[in-house]
Amino acid sequence: MVSTELIIKIGQILVFPGFLFLIFYALFAEWVDRKFFARLQNRIGPLHTGWKGILQPLADLIKLLAKEDITPEAADSVVFATVPIILFAIPLTVMFMVPIIGPKAYISFEGDLIVILFLFTLTVLSVFMAGWGSLNRFGTVGGLRTSLQMLSYEIPMGVAAVGPAILAKSLSLSGIVAWQGRSMSLFLENPTEFSLALGIAKASVLALGFGIFTICMLAELEKVPFDIPEAETEIVGGWQVEYSGKKLALLRLGGDIKLVAASALMTSLFLGGPLGPWPIPPALWFLLKTILCVMIISNLRALFARYRIDQMINWMWKNLVPLSLLYILAIELMAVLM
Amino acid sequence: MTSIPFIFTLSLLIGLIFYWIGARIAPKGTKTPGKLAPYACGEDFPPVRLQVNMERFFLYTIFFMVFDILAVVLATSLARPGILPALYALIVFASVMLVLPLARW
Repeated sequence: MVSTELIIKIGQILVFPGFLFLIFYALFAEWVDRKFFARLQNRIGPLHTGWKGILQPLADLIKLLAKEDITPEAADSVVFATVPIILFAIPLTVMFMVPIIGPKAYISFEGDLIVILFLFTLTVLSVFMAGWGSLNRFGTVGGLRTSLQMLSYEIPMGVAAVGPAILAKSLSLSGIVAWQGRSMSLFLENPTEFSLALGIAKASVLALGFGIFTICMLAELEKVPFDIPEAETEIVGGWQVEYSGKKLALLRLGGDIKLVAASALMTSLFLGGPLGPWPIPPALWFLLKTILCVMIISNLRALFARYRIDQMINWMWKNLVPLSLLYILAIELMAVLM
Repeated sequence: MTSIPFIFTLSLLIGLIFYWIGARIAPKGTKTPGKLAPYACGEDFPPVRLQVNMERFFLYTIFFMVFDILAVVLATSLARPGILPALYALIVFASVMLVLPLARW
């Protein structure tokens, strides 16, 4: 006897908003990223596979899967083979804790924000293991650079993510999204001058948090101003240098899902997640907002050039960490005023 | 079915499915010594573990520890936001500002 509830649950895990949807959405996000990036550089970008090259990421994935897979003789073969699967599984797990089809995520409990930040740190450690396990000079240097980067952006990232949580008095993403909807409807019911001023103040402080979080996400995703660990022009791909075939395919797919997960986090922490005015359904709002975040990330990618590792760490510690502390002070002040 | 380990295991299994597909459709190829050597831009580097000097970044790890504890304190101050966590952040900020000129970057 199989109940309908069970079937719905299995469908939610496997199809929508589960694995199938997430994988294809990640490929779509990669296409948006590549196309937008190319247009900003006055190039055409993906063109031939499908409508305006929309199938290009899928074609790349299949091509890489069908290529010969080489494990270097010196590499630690267990670590070398495990890391791509872990780097693929972690962002997928994160996506299940993000509200997509409604204000409540599939997995939601008090404190899942901490778990998400922990999982993001775990990806950094796996990247280090990948570089170390491939026993290649470029790989080792890339892995080390990743962990050094992590030392500098982890603090502002955590502090920026905690800001909305303090205002919402909840450490779960679903709680934060629900708080954003609630405070909007509270304001619409009773618009006074004081609540308008408070709302504008909150919005401007959280806009600062959004900026800090976006910069940290660029570092987390190893996108251009902070793509120091995989700098192709100096350390030829860094920690990825020895990977080929199906392992590289999985690494790239994992990177795409991580891009979606990062923009989903930006969306749910600062932009109200799947909530929005009525005629557009919540899932579509979520897609629109995450695509907007992906475009912000590719815009910044086109705008900047790569920093050196010590420049980046110095800049982060001297500017971004004090800024994030000022931000959290302002948040605490708001929390007292409310 | 709504637990993190369950979803994580399922994600790992899906990753394994990708590996399986790759193993099915990819050519096996021949193994030559040049193919199995580590990539080193054509130079002849033996695959040895590098010893990396972390001394330059030791200070950063110390700061990282201090600020990580601060972040945890702030994150768990939800129930009672306001003066105490803000004061704690200010104290950490001021003390780090005092230590900063001592460091030679």
